[in-house]
Amino acid sequence: MRLSIVGTILRREWAETVRNRLLMATILVPPVILTVAPIAAGGLVGDRSLPADFAAQIIAQRPDWAAFTPSELAGAFTVQQFLAFFLLMPAYIPLSIATFSIIGEKQARTLEPVLAAPVRTVELLAGKAIAALVPGLLAGWLTYVAFASLAAIVYGPRLLGVVTDPSWLSGVFVLGPAVGLSSVVTGVIVSSRVNDPRVAQQIGGVIIVPIIGVTLVQATGSVLVDATGYLLLAGIILALSLVGLRIGVGLFDREAILTRWR
Amino acid sequence: MIRTAGLGRRFGAAWAIRDVNLEVRRGEVLGLLGPNGAGKTTTVRLLTVLIEPTEGGAWVDGLDVRTAPDAVRARVGILTETPGLYEKLSASANLDFFGRLHGLDAATRAERIERYLRLFSLWERRDDAAGTFSKGMKQKLAIARALLHDPAVVFLDEPTAALDPEAAYIVREAIEGLRRSGRTIVLATHNLDEASRLCDRVAFIRGALLRVDSPAELLGTMGARGVDIALSQEPDADLLAAARSVEGVAGVESFDRRLVVSADEPASVTADLIRALVAAGADILEVRERATTLEQAYFEVMGVRPDRDEAA
Repeated sequence: MRLSIVGTILRREWAETVRNRLLMATILVPPVILTVAPIAAGGLVGDRSLPADFAAQIIAQRPDWAAFTPSELAGAFTVQQFLAFFLLMPAYIPLSIATFSIIGEKQARTLEPVLAAPVRTVELLAGKAIAALVPGLLAGWLTYVAFASLAAIVYGPRLLGVVTDPSWLSGVFVLGPAVGLSSVVTGVIVSSRVNDPRVAQQIGGVIIVPIIGVTLVQATGSVLVDATGYLLLAGIILALSLVGLRIGVGLFDREAILTRWR
Repeated sequence: MIRTAGLGRRFGAAWAIRDVNLEVRRGEVLGLLGPNGAGKTTTVRLLTVLIEPTEGGAWVDGLDVRTAPDAVRARVGILTETPGLYEKLSASANLDFFGRLHGLDAATRAERIERYLRLFSLWERRDDAAGTFSKGMKQKLAIARALLHDPAVVFLDEPTAALDPEAAYIVREAIEGLRRSGRTIVLATHNLDEASRLCDRVAFIRGALLRVDSPAELLGTMGARGVDIALSQEPDADLLAAARSVEGVAGVESFDRRLVVSADEPASVTADLIRALVAAGADILEVRERATTLEQAYFEVMGVRPDRDEAA
């Protein structure tokens, strides 16, 4: 694989992405909302304390939070719910970019001249995958940094320890990329079968369902997924992504694109 | 420059083309003619290594498409059926992207982008998004893209299909320019007039290679030859007999104040024919040698009679 060719494809993908207003809105608006809204909501609530029995339940699961004031405990519990949202960004942004990119090329018939150039399929796919994956990861990570900083300001400096504990770090920096890769793979597979980016995103959106599930489980307070849980989840998603990648590469075959992609 | 031997490609159970044996010489313009689904695009895709042969082989500039696909791709340029431009990118950005894919350095890219955009009168619009271009301009930009890496062979697949007459004229002029510059060109087209004007030889394809010849050779050897004579009166039996009596006349038919005379050497019988008809009382309005068109040759090679097929 020649990195110069991958880089050329990557730059072209991004040059088109930044010129696509709808796609840019999809990439930029939700991270801002996800960062500001929970913090703003937390800041607006006057009495930041949990019911006593619920607080006891939380402390039973997280003994390291026992020293928190009621306000800090409420803040810690609140911000903990939003970890899953930082997994949504590496899920939906790569999915959006990948589906727009591949289906856009199908509709505009732009792949045939590219495939007639001395470009290997793996280079083309790598360029597209990286171009889709990186914005999602960057958005997730930058938003996380902003969120962690704001959480510390709004809820107190001890909250910084909550949002930088191993569960958060493994969730954002290990599970996030795994989710992003699975999202790109899903985007490639779905896009090879449908001709409308919105339909592809709706079908590919099923990838978000398990993340929503994790969010709901966490919100009940019955289970708080720890770093080991996130790493395990990342391993499973990575394994499934690699299986999907083999399918995706097969669907991205040069001849299949020209003769079966309609 | 291009050679194929028993080239064939199957999709599922159906053969798109089979047993194609073809040679294209350096600097030659070869037209690929055939109806929709005849295998023209499949042939172009095989020779540009977009798809692999099912059987047989093909060599471009001495390189085997099976064993040296990347090297062949580096030596060919292709104008696909649709321009396939990145419409949000500028004309120069489109060309720059393909220049990079072909491994051209920055200075070469800059020089060639300017050269081809100027050649096709697009230099002033170099920073405009390709999506703002007319169909003809897009097609010219796509041709520039096909030439950017200085390929040994250029494949043009239906370059004027779906273009209005003005845009088609612009594109034909561009192709004519390439022809004059000595490029080896393979032109897949439905447009027989375009083929007769631009091509040194034409290859008729319909699932297989039916015939390859120069337009002049085809017109000289195919189609009915003779003389058409328009009269002011309905031809009667005496006029028909007078025409048939002329030496060299193979047959005479009459249609609506018109005599259709068949002759192998129309030029040598025309004067005697006119004299004989005038002597028999004919009032002649017009005499015209019947010329075979590439369209007639096409129908003859393809084994098609449109009037009868339509009636059927």
